[in-house]
Amino acid sequence: MRKLILIGLLVWMVSSVQAAPNGRDLYFQFCNACHQMSGQGGIGLPLSAEKLDDVSDEYLTKTIRLGRPGRVMPSFNAMSDAQIQAIVSYLRKRTDTQEKVFDSTILVGDVNNGKALFERNCVTCHGSDGSGQGKGTGVTLSRDRSFLVMPPAISNPGFQASATDKMIKHIIKVGRVRSAMPSFGALGLKDQDLNDLVVYVRALGEKAKQAKRESIPEEDESMSHVVESPYDFDTTVNNLKQAVGGSNFRIFPDRFLEQGLTDEFSVNKRQIGIRFCNFKELYGMLKIEPRLGVVLPCRVTVMERKDGKVLLVVPNLRVVSRWFNNDELENLWNQMEEGFNEMIEEATL
Amino acid sequence: MITRITSYLSLILLLMVGNAFADNMVMARVPMKADLTFEHLKDAIEGHGYSVAHVQLCDGGMKEFGYKSDLYRVVFFGKIEEVSHISEDHPEFVPYVPLKMTVVAERGETLLSIVNPQTYAVYYPNDKDMQIQFARWYNDILSILSDMQKITGEKVSMQFVN
Repeated sequence: MRKLILIGLLVWMVSSVQAAPNGRDLYFQFCNACHQMSGQGGIGLPLSAEKLDDVSDEYLTKTIRLGRPGRVMPSFNAMSDAQIQAIVSYLRKRTDTQEKVFDSTILVGDVNNGKALFERNCVTCHGSDGSGQGKGTGVTLSRDRSFLVMPPAISNPGFQASATDKMIKHIIKVGRVRSAMPSFGALGLKDQDLNDLVVYVRALGEKAKQAKRESIPEEDESMSHVVESPYDFDTTVNNLKQAVGGSNFRIFPDRFLEQGLTDEFSVNKRQIGIRFCNFKELYGMLKIEPRLGVVLPCRVTVMERKDGKVLLVVPNLRVVSRWFNNDELENLWNQMEEGFNEMIEEATL
Repeated sequence: MITRITSYLSLILLLMVGNAFADNMVMARVPMKADLTFEHLKDAIEGHGYSVAHVQLCDGGMKEFGYKSDLYRVVFFGKIEEVSHISEDHPEFVPYVPLKMTVVAERGETLLSIVNPQTYAVYYPNDKDMQIQFARWYNDILSILSDMQKITGEKVSMQFVN
């Protein structure tokens, strides 16, 4: 009897899974946390009528499928075509918009003129490399909310693969409603100038791809750095505090690893977290990636083992950084990693 | 028997979700103001047998240094026996315990984020105990977020990203 019930329920579940996907439900499950149901955006870009009016369904489909590598927008490569189609249809219905179709003609132009035009008109917002100037994408946390959209990373491989030349040209020509992006057609750029700009945007995409290939480091795949101290527990803790104090951090009160999880008499006092923070850096980082709190604050744990060995343990920030899929943080992660290493080295010299 | 069937179904559902979208972060949007969400979240965590070890007031720290911030807190939670066991057998994992969940205000709503414990599993491919531990945390996190849904009376949107 039990088996029969189980089989019945399984059949029901499988048939439910195979039913036509519901775009609203999928949007709720996978998009709402960043873009919100109303489409006003948050961590993610707004998905309002103004933003969807000038793009094709193919652009939306590829954007969902490919994401924006190195930014918060993930690649939903496990979704079926039907699921993505359902989300796109839901977006169209919700915003009461029609797709604008662009053919895939490759535009031809003068890359040098495109570069000159880009430097004159676009770098202030999009950055000289087209990466959007390292300001994240969505509008959230303490960020300036007067802009509906932060300048997108037009050199990003996800954008490059999703947008056709003609779509990019159209947006440059007409601008974006309720954003800082003006209509360059209205500002006097000629048709060939627009083509030249598109050609240069493509060149930026190629350059970004090349830079990414060259910057892939040899990965240290361990989750943490574990260093054995030559000193006893108390000396190691004191050395570490001195090293942290000399590194422009605010030091928080020490916390035992088990503190708060058991009563104060039972807590293991030979496992202590030295915690510290630079609020200026934290503020800058949270503006780029609001979810960073899941790995903060900075902490070095000092532990005395049963055999008397004293260990210092820190997370491997190069591994942690990959969880956020955000290239903009790369330099900051590297700086923090170096800072951690220097402190540990100083404490164990 | 019903309990067992429910367990089977939960496991199947979890496996389905995990296989389809096994990603590095679990996020949830709660349609409730952050200060209230924060209080309910602590209850939900404790309701699952975890202790809230402490709460980091990142917003307070930033304000103190002159940076404007909405409510931004990090809730640290865990179980003493799990943390003790990990620190004993896996000192390299100590930076990741207690577990941490961020509570971030976004206008009248709240975003909750936590590293998907399944992310850690790839570093312990042959360690059955740790695999079970990560699966258990993952299960509990989904259940905690599901409790938030019951508390708010509205569906909580969960997202698995990256």
